[in-house]
Amino acid sequence: MKHLPKHLRPRWRYLVIELEAWPDAEIDRRAFQRECWYAGQNLLGDPGSAAADLTVVRFTFDDGAGSAIVRVRRGETEPARAAIACIDEIDGAAVGLRVCGISGTIRAGEENYLGRGRQDSEERNVVFGNEERVAVVRDGSADVRLDDAFAGATDLDCDFA
Amino acid sequence: MYEAVRAHPEGQSTVARLAKRAADYGYEGVVVRNRSGSRADYDADAIAETYGIDVVDGVEIRAETPQEASGAVGNYRTSRTIVALEGGTNALNRFAVEQAKVDVLAGPMAGDGDVNHVLAKAAVENGVRIEFDLSRALRESGGRRVRAIQSLRKLAEIVDYYDAPYVVSADPTSHLELRAPRELQALGEEIGLSGEFVADGLAEWGRVAERNRHVQSESFIEPGVERGRYEEEPR
Repeated sequence: MKHLPKHLRPRWRYLVIELEAWPDAEIDRRAFQRECWYAGQNLLGDPGSAAADLTVVRFTFDDGAGSAIVRVRRGETEPARAAIACIDEIDGAAVGLRVCGISGTIRAGEENYLGRGRQDSEERNVVFGNEERVAVVRDGSADVRLDDAFAGATDLDCDFA
Repeated sequence: MYEAVRAHPEGQSTVARLAKRAADYGYEGVVVRNRSGSRADYDADAIAETYGIDVVDGVEIRAETPQEASGAVGNYRTSRTIVALEGGTNALNRFAVEQAKVDVLAGPMAGDGDVNHVLAKAAVENGVRIEFDLSRALRESGGRRVRAIQSLRKLAEIVDYYDAPYVVSADPTSHLELRAPRELQALGEEIGLSGEFVADGLAEWGRVAERNRHVQSESFIEPGVERGRYEEEPR
């Protein structure tokens, strides 16, 4: 079908989202999209999530950190923000996320809010709670591998071996 | 705005990690509200200096009965800046709001707990803040979440009518569960608490901390007593 003339196209806003998880988490775009829509439906209901849209248009994730851009109808950004805040798990992996910014185009969102160069993570041996552990260290934060889980720490809590 | 967090060993992240993330998210401070049995080990000054965020030493007392709670409140009152008492039964809720030494009644609607006009009036009289715990609205789903939101609404109506003091928290146990203030405000709008109400509840933690620090500081003598200039003797 022929696309709509410009004045009839929906006005979109793009939420730029930063994601974080434990280092062993694997999250793909489909799973994130599913959770976005579930969260929208659960919090806003069917009409609310139809109004908000919540389509994932950009997604990257690896090594426990990532970013995404979610498309939202103009005027529905606050309900969308609330729905996204309610995502706490994706495919069983705990995630933390925040909306870093909202912009009118994908490109402006990427340039304004995703520009910061991400630091690579590295595995280091650390002493945490008087025991030697392996930690995934990035930018002053350390995810310390305990026996069956991780503990979130920073360089203030660990002595690097 | 402040957030009240549960740190390692009760939660999964250390105080430093939570503080780092909270500073990133635009909070002015974190209140460490570990339960009395699992105290976090941290250096508040070093964290405050490194991440530029206030760290408040708090405790959340968990007790089975008011008698048990009463002893614990007395023990912690002198050493901790913020003393919260975990509610969840009618007896404990009642005890907390009638005890001026308690700063915060945490999770009053959890479990079998409930709040009514009597408790709200007592909370106003004794200056006990009633907590709005957003954790179950954020992290539960289905019927449990519906009930959590219902109880938050009920609480909001009562608190609003009596103008009772309150605090708001998402009760995070790791840096992943932390949410930025704007996200919590947006969630509040959706579940029937206004954005300003949520912001005010988050800021209230900071006001409690400031007040209690002043009360516990050396310069504070007694309520209503201030050190000033002596009156000159008329000659």
